[in-house]
Formats: sequence, structure tokens, C-alpha cells
Amino acid sequence: MEKATPVQPTYPSDRSSRFWTIVLRFQSYFGLIAILILATIFSPLRDGRNIFLDPNNLLNIVRFASENGIIAIGMTLVILIGGIDLSVGAVLALCAVGAASFMMRSGFGTIPTVVLVVSLGALAGVINGLVTTRFNIQSFIVTLAMLSIARGVASLWSGGYAIPLAFGDGPDLAPPSFKALFAGSVSMGAINIPVQPFYFLAAGLIAAVLLKRTAFGRHVYAVGGNETAARLSGVNVTRVKTIVFTVSGLLAGVAALLHAALVNQGSHIDGSGYELNAIAAVVIGGTSLAGGVGTVVGSMVGAVILSILDNILGLRNIASEYQMILKGMLIVGAVLVQRQKR
Amino acid sequence: MLEIQSVSKSFPGVQALRDVSFVVQTGEVHALVGENGAGKSTLMKLLSGVYPDYEGTIFFEGERLALRNPHDAQLRGIAIIHQELNLIPELTVAENIFLGSELHTAFGGLDVSRMQRETSLLLNRFRLAIPPDRPVKWLRVGEQQLAEVAKALALHARLLILDEPTSALSEAEVERLFAVIAGLKQQGVTMIYISHKLDEVFRIADRVTVLRDGEFIGTRLVSETNPQELIRMMVGRSLSDLFPKENVTPGDEVLRVEGLGLAPDRRQGSRSLHAISFSLRRGEIVGVAGLMGAGRTELLETLFGVYPRSRVSGRILVAGHEQQFVSPQTAIAAGLAFVTEDRKNQSLIVKLPVAENMTLAALQRFVSRGFIRLRAEAEAVQRSIRQLHIKTPSSTADVATLSGGNQQKVALAKCLLTQPRIFLLDEPTRGIDVGAKAEIYALVSHLAQEGAAVLMASSELPEIMAMCDRVLVLCEGELTAELSRAEATQERIMEAATARYQTQPRRSEPA
Repeated sequence: MEKATPVQPTYPSDRSSRFWTIVLRFQSYFGLIAILILATIFSPLRDGRNIFLDPNNLLNIVRFASENGIIAIGMTLVILIGGIDLSVGAVLALCAVGAASFMMRSGFGTIPTVVLVVSLGALAGVINGLVTTRFNIQSFIVTLAMLSIARGVASLWSGGYAIPLAFGDGPDLAPPSFKALFAGSVSMGAINIPVQPFYFLAAGLIAAVLLKRTAFGRHVYAVGGNETAARLSGVNVTRVKTIVFTVSGLLAGVAALLHAALVNQGSHIDGSGYELNAIAAVVIGGTSLAGGVGTVVGSMVGAVILSILDNILGLRNIASEYQMILKGMLIVGAVLVQRQKR
Repeated sequence: MLEIQSVSKSFPGVQALRDVSFVVQTGEVHALVGENGAGKSTLMKLLSGVYPDYEGTIFFEGERLALRNPHDAQLRGIAIIHQELNLIPELTVAENIFLGSELHTAFGGLDVSRMQRETSLLLNRFRLAIPPDRPVKWLRVGEQQLAEVAKALALHARLLILDEPTSALSEAEVERLFAVIAGLKQQGVTMIYISHKLDEVFRIADRVTVLRDGEFIGTRLVSETNPQELIRMMVGRSLSDLFPKENVTPGDEVLRVEGLGLAPDRRQGSRSLHAISFSLRRGEIVGVAGLMGAGRTELLETLFGVYPRSRVSGRILVAGHEQQFVSPQTAIAAGLAFVTEDRKNQSLIVKLPVAENMTLAALQRFVSRGFIRLRAEAEAVQRSIRQLHIKTPSSTADVATLSGGNQQKVALAKCLLTQPRIFLLDEPTRGIDVGAKAEIYALVSHLAQEGAAVLMASSELPEIMAMCDRVLVLCEGELTAELSRAEATQERIMEAATARYQTQPRRSEPA
């Protein structure tokens, strides 16, 4: 009757569960491969050639993924700490209006404009971060307020109309270098590679290294995983959160530069709904809204998946309403797959 | 009444129950005893529908019990009074008691007056003079507990499970609870009484079942057994093996606390500390004893800089230098380390890997030119895993997959990596199996021998008495005794732990 065998820990380690662990860990990559195959199959043909797989089309996909992707990188950090940033679209509008105003009205050159616009985005982020941490208000509320405020300020600043960007040398014209820098392309042999993906990749690379290889990155995961435990382990939670919101605002500023250069204007209605696209990319990329779990690379892949979806449906002339419906189903599907992880 | 047949239950990384079988007879008070981590709480969660799946079968009143959720258990007449109370603080006593089974008037509205009348009747049975319209948050812990018992009776529970009901109660409240239990027994209510306090078992139980490490050890008639036999069954080894206390000559003073106070936070109604002074020397293990709510945890948290400076008064000196701890960060920098009582919510980030948890507090050691040196970090993690015998599939496994004992070792490893001089340990062995307990005691003893100073808060007196060179006893936020190892008997500690209750007039007459 009296037994003293210690409790033996049991670990799930059979082969099939390990297979699924790998699939789930890289869920966004498998999603990417699946959607690439589907898009290739459903692509219309022109002169017997697959339009979807045309190099220029593929480059377009990455180009259109870049703005959302850059915002999604900042959003990933925010969601990793267990927060949300609803203000990114509005901050993009504010920064785009700022870029147009600085160049067209104030006659600033490219470099001062870039510095000011990125700082403006970062400032909005700092405010989000400080209000969230100092007053202990949920980031959902704080950034919802910032969404409203940033659009209001942008509208006042622009006078309620889009500020068109006319490029050229001379007064009342924006410097052509701005257009070249943020909406131009680099020619490599026969194909022209648009510049936007370079910003996207650079932002992603920096964020990924920051998260994986620095103390700050570890602290981001720790704060999102368990804020109390992080604080008791000596992590300066307030500082980590404030920096994360600042980075999110800053990246919205970078996206605003690409946006203004692409559409040749800055408007207070730019970037409407971008926050939701960014959240969608993050969720599809496997990051948990509960915080503490997720990767930047996943979100980047998520942004590309969304861009492919838009692209292939566009190629097949399917109405945008169906794109919205499919996107919604994709988001729920991604979360269902994620739940299997637990 | 209740027949448990070969029940097993496992979680990732731990076998919580293994082939447990025993019988509870109608109308008896059946005590269930065992160390922390023995499987008592898991078994109760099976009975109350919290864990719907398990192996084996349970028969209740002759029928096979298949509960899908706690509500099912209520419908079958099984009620559980948890260690953590489950009342909603903002609602009144009557609202809580009738929550989910509200009485309605003929017009469909809530029959508030009838619910309050019935609540009064129920409370009167316990000689509890609480107005039924009083919000629960204004009640004392003991009163809340009895309100919960009342709620169970309102639901016509035939099996009442009490999970360590006295851990937060003063002596007078314990007496009242026991009177209530005796009354219920006369009315034919069957009760399972979970505790690790043997004196309580001998006072109120008819039979007692012992679990250890998730296994059934035996059932005895209380009238035919004695504390020595039960302890042997519970621990499975002699106490000297469990507590390897080394004799150490204390060295220099490393921590001096003078008139330390903590003001309560009015909004949260939190606990406070008043004028606590003591010192801690190298090589010493000093215990902090007291009832639940006496301020043990608050004392350690205050020392660790958890509370805003505005709430803290008095002086803290580390190795002779006065320190102003404004955050845990500053406390860690001064050489303090804190292992919290709530491992999963405060010490560890369970969804992150073992390695990242271990190095979180000491990351700066591994950073050069802004980047973490992953190899140096991995080597330190492997050293810790070997040194503390942590059983984990790998350093990249999530902490959530480890057993309680191994999780606690990860928490200790995290502290050790910051190379502290002073360890603040809050309930260091709560909820872990006996083997891991012995290892943690050995480690603490070893740390003291190497010159660390340890302040160890615990609710388990055997642990305090066996491990500590001195014992500080708290009651209601005040230091009521400082006892040497020789003086620290169970009686002396309990006397000091209830000192403030005894000098106050009792709030209600004993039943």
C-alpha cells in the first residue's frame, strides 16, 4: 500500500505530434505556399503565359504589401506586449499631410521632410505610450483616441482637402528626389525593382534582429507574456511599452512617406482602415493577440499573403466585396489553426 | 455515497493522480490529507466538474458521475468551497447566494425581499449576524467563507467539499466553522474536508484518506490512527531527510530593516505593514511566519521595491548602506532576489522557453555591444539545468510544460543568475512534490552555507521550524515575535501569529 515512486513527468513527443508542431510553428510559411499554389492555379493566362507568375506581377505584389507590411511590423511589437495600436492609419494620414505640407507649402527639401515626418510619427507613438503607461489606460482606448485626434489634426492642417504633390525644380514644387527615393525603382537588367520592398525588408530585418538578439527584444516578449513577472524580474515595463508604441508610430511615418510618394498627395483620409489590415497581417502571421507569442517575419509573410489575395482576385476581376469576405474568412482560419498549438 | 475507482489524471509534464480509489460514506466527514502537490486539489476539481475528462470512474449516489462543467456538479448536489473564494465582491450576500438561481415574483421580476429573507434564515443557522444586503467585499474572510457554505446549502448540496477552509481564518473563525460543520453533519450533509493540518482532522473528521504524489496511500478511521502514522503516510520518509539544515555560523549583517511600514492602498483595500524592524546576517535562514493575510508577502514585496515609494516608510539598509528601492530593478541591482509565492502568475512567464525565463533578470550579463551573446547564455542555462537537476525536455521547452517542482527550480535558477546576496523566498515549496521539496531545501541550505542570507516566508510551520535559524512572526501587518530556533515551537509561533486577535474583543460569540 505504501509506495514512494516519484511522479514521472510525461512529455508529448510522438512523431505525428512533432510533425504538427513544425507545421504550426511555421504556419504562415505553409499559408504562403498554399496561397501561391492556389493563385498560380487560378491565375488567368495571357498568350499561354501565367499572368500571376509574371515577374512584374510578383514585384507588384511585394510593392503593395510593403506599406501594410511596414505598419504590421510595428503592430507586431505592440501586439507582442499585449497591446493594440488602432492609430496607425490616422498617424499615416497625419504624416502624409505633413510630408505634403512641408514640401509644397514650406518648401523643405527631401531630407528635412523625411526627418520631420518620421519624428512626427514617433511623437504620436510616444504620446500613445506615455498615456498608456502613466495613466494605466488600455492601449485600445488610448490609440482609439489618437486615431480620432490624428485625423482631426491632419484635416485642420490640410484644410480639409488633399494637398497634391507636384514634383519638379523650383518654388511651390516638391523635390523630385523624394519621388525617386520613395516611389522609384532600381533597374536590374531587364526588370525594374520598385523601391518599396527595400524599406519593407530593411524594417523587418531590423525589427527581427532587435527582437531576437537584444535585451530589449527579450523584454518585449517578457512584458507580453506576463507583465507582473517581467516587472519582478527587473524589466522596466514602462520603458519597454513606451518604446514599442514609439516604434509603431515611427513606422507609420515611414509608411506615410511611401504612401504620399506613390499617390502624389497627402490627405487626411489617407490610410483609412490600415490599422485593421495591419492587425490582419499580424494575426495571419501567427502572433497571439494575448501577447508574448509571435514573430515579425510571420507578420511580413501575413502582409504578403493579403497582398497576393488582393492581386489574384484583381487579376480575375472579382469584385472587391468578395475580397473583403475572403479576407475575413482567412483571418478566422488563421486563428483557428493557431489554437491547435495549445 | 461517493465511490472513486482507479481514477488517474495527467497534465503535460506531470501525472497528477495515479490509480486512486476510495469510498466516502453518506453522512460522514471524510478528511483528505496530503502534502502540497499530493493531488488533493486535482481530485476535487474532478468531483466539481472543473476537469471533465479523466481515466477511471466515479460513482455518486449509485450513478456514474459524468460532469461536463461545474454547473453540472451543482445540479447533482455537489458543492465545493475553494481555497480562493468564489464570491463576487461587488454583489451583496443575498445576490451572491442566489446567483444563477434567482427567485422571481409572479410578474417575472426579481423577488429581492424573499431572497433576502431566505438568506437571513440561512445565515442564522450559522449564527452569522450579517445583513443580507451587505456587499461581500465588506465581509471578513471568515464571514465570506461561511457565506459560501450558505450558498452551497441554498443549492441543496448533499456533498460539500471544503478545500483548506481554515488557511485564512483566525482561531475564533475556525471554531465557528467547525460548529457549522458539526451542525451540517447532523442534518445529513456529507463532507470532504481537505487539509494538511492534522489537528483539525482529528477534531472533526470520521475517516481520513491520505494521498501522496498523486497516489492513494490509505484510508483510516480517525479513532484508530494517530498523527505519527498519518505523517509517515503523507511524507513517506522521515523528516530529517526532508529538511537537510546545515549548521552555519552567521556572518556580517547584510540587511537591516528599521521601522518599515507600508500604507494601505485605499482603492484596493490592500494590506499594510507597521513599524517592522529586524536584521539578517550572512549564512542565516530567517523564517517569516503568520496566518494568511498577516503581511508575509507584503513584507517581502516591500523589501523588493514592488510598491510605490510614497506608500513605504522606514529604512532599509543593505550591507550598511541605506537603499531606496523604487522598483524591483533597483532591488536586484543591490543584490536582492525574490521568488514569489505565485509561480505561474508572478515568477515565471510560462509561455516562454525555460532558457529565456532563466536569463530574464540577468540579461545584461550576456549582452556585449548591444547584442545578446547567445552561446554564453546557452552555456549558463545548461549549467543551471545541471546544477539544479531540472527535468526538462530541452532548454527551449515552454515552462508551462514542466511540473511544479521543476518550474520552481527555474524560478530559483533565474534568481541565482543575478548572483544575489539576499534571497527573499515566498512559499518556496508550495504545490510541489516531496522530492522536489527536499531538493529545494537542500539548495536553500547550501546557499546559506555559501554565505547568502535567506528570508523565507511560509505558511507551513514544519518547514519554518526545520529550516530556519530565527523566525519572525507577523500578525495583521505587525511583527509580534522574533524567536530563535530553539524558541520556535508550533505553540509559540501560533500564539504570536494570533496575538492581535486575542487582544481584541471577539466579533461574535462562539457557537
